[in-house]
Amino acid sequence: MSSLSFHEKSAIGTLVALWFIGIFYFHSVWDLWQAGQLHPASMTGLATGLTILLVIVLVGYHILIAATARPQQEDERDRIIAWRAGNISGVVLGVAVIGIVVHILIGGFFGNALAESPMLIANALIAAVLLATVVELVLTLVFYRRGL
Amino acid sequence: MTQQALADAVGVSRQTIIAIEQGRYSPSLEVALKIAQAFGEPVEQVFWFTEGVDSQTMIGNLQ
Repeated sequence: MSSLSFHEKSAIGTLVALWFIGIFYFHSVWDLWQAGQLHPASMTGLATGLTILLVIVLVGYHILIAATARPQQEDERDRIIAWRAGNISGVVLGVAVIGIVVHILIGGFFGNALAESPMLIANALIAAVLLATVVELVLTLVFYRRGL
Repeated sequence: MTQQALADAVGVSRQTIIAIEQGRYSPSLEVALKIAQAFGEPVEQVFWFTEGVDSQTMIGNLQ
């Protein structure tokens, strides 16, 4: 890990934490939906609890890598990589949101579950944000390792 | 000169110097000029361009 910059270590840690907490979140949402318990209260509790857990994990991890690595200021390469990864992930987020909207509009004619449940729509949007974030982090690591 | 010393002189991270050496990153003109200045060489002695190939550098040799 010593050859990795602070930004690469940050991206790896954030990706791993998001991956596991994201899987746990959507697994729980699926179970709640199957049990007919996907209500605003249960979803808010689940989302709030996991968001607090994610913040605690990421703050602890970043304190750890900041304490063990030489302090680094962001340079031009870091800024270009962040801009490019963010640009592409923004497109992914836009396509995913438009896909959800089209799915709701078309599905509304056929009684699609997504079109009739605000909780499912909310979770589809959360999934879109998570997907865009994962794409951004993966691209960040690819650009650092393989070049721009 | 070590990679870290060059990075400190230029104001970038050591990983960026490594990426430039390995041809994984083409620096801005400002950073290229600062690297050349750190070596006391004209910029065209440190960086050059070959048609069909990414920009090349001899930072590793100068170090």
